[in-house]
Amino acid sequence: MAGKTIVVTSGKGGVGKTTTVANIGTMLAKKKYNVCMIDADIGLRNLDVVMGLENRIVYNLVDIIEGNCRRPQAMIRDRKFSNLCMIPAAQTREKNAVKPDQMKTLCEELAEEFDYVFIDCPAGIEQGFKNAVAGAQMAIVVTTPEVSAIRDADRVIGLLEAGMLKDIHLIINRLNHRMVKKGDMMSTADILSLLAVPLLGVVPESEEVVISTNRGVPLVHQRGSRAGRAFTQIAARLNGEDVPFDEEKGDGFLAKVARFIRS
Amino acid sequence: MLKAIRRFFGEKPSSQVARRRMQVVLMHDRMDLAPDVMESLKNDILGVLSRYMEIDQQSIRVDLEQGKDYTALVSNVHIKRVYRQAHSS
Repeated sequence: MAGKTIVVTSGKGGVGKTTTVANIGTMLAKKKYNVCMIDADIGLRNLDVVMGLENRIVYNLVDIIEGNCRRPQAMIRDRKFSNLCMIPAAQTREKNAVKPDQMKTLCEELAEEFDYVFIDCPAGIEQGFKNAVAGAQMAIVVTTPEVSAIRDADRVIGLLEAGMLKDIHLIINRLNHRMVKKGDMMSTADILSLLAVPLLGVVPESEEVVISTNRGVPLVHQRGSRAGRAFTQIAARLNGEDVPFDEEKGDGFLAKVARFIRS
Repeated sequence: MLKAIRRFFGEKPSSQVARRRMQVVLMHDRMDLAPDVMESLKNDILGVLSRYMEIDQQSIRVDLEQGKDYTALVSNVHIKRVYRQAHSS
């Protein structure tokens, strides 16, 4: 198998799995790798709208698995990068329309063709999770600095390890540096000490993320976006590049001046 | 300002409170996960203890005790006899 299959999961919903897949996938495509993204959230499809590809869907993941179409027919090419594509989830089906070994076969086939295969996992730890994880060689767990997300992340990490998926990395999403500094939010170090999984990157909380999903254009296309920069770094680390972690200073020039005056 | 006053009176930053709580919760969750892990833990404890003393195999109990800010492992064993010299296993 040539390519790498990576599942992006979290346990808790709404922590940014889909955004993460869209941005890392797009960034790696920008680096000229062949990338395929699978939306495994059957019944609650979302990767298509985040990527801005919702108008192009004809066939979906379940159609591929049931043989209603040829595989390339369900693979939707990105608007900007021809080496980036995604397989949408079925919207009107149930999670048990797919079985783990079917998913595994599909992922193996895709890995022959692509350098990176990302699987956008549904929230929860039921059938949909098991399907999404079945074909993955590596897992990215996304969490936010909230107790509920961290607890669920820990549970998911336990399940992954029990299922023999040991290559697990962590992304902390929506970290608010200002709140961390005030002592009102757990820091990266706090979260790492709790979860004990290697860190892939920290994405700062940012309005840009909402704006980019509104438009259906991944953040990494934009210059000067801090969250976009974080995703760029994450993609580079995934790709084996050695990118040092930023220090948690978290603010720009003006804040530095303000601190200087205060001190 | 209000916060500064609260801190003065010993109120911890909420991030510290969260971290402490999570430490306890996660430990409990992880322990909760597998009854078979508890069983093998029990057997291992039995194995170690029996090198030093003769114990009532049936009496051993291993429990997790949840305190306000800690999780403790509490084990009760009935000892029948203590050996003069440890038996090697």
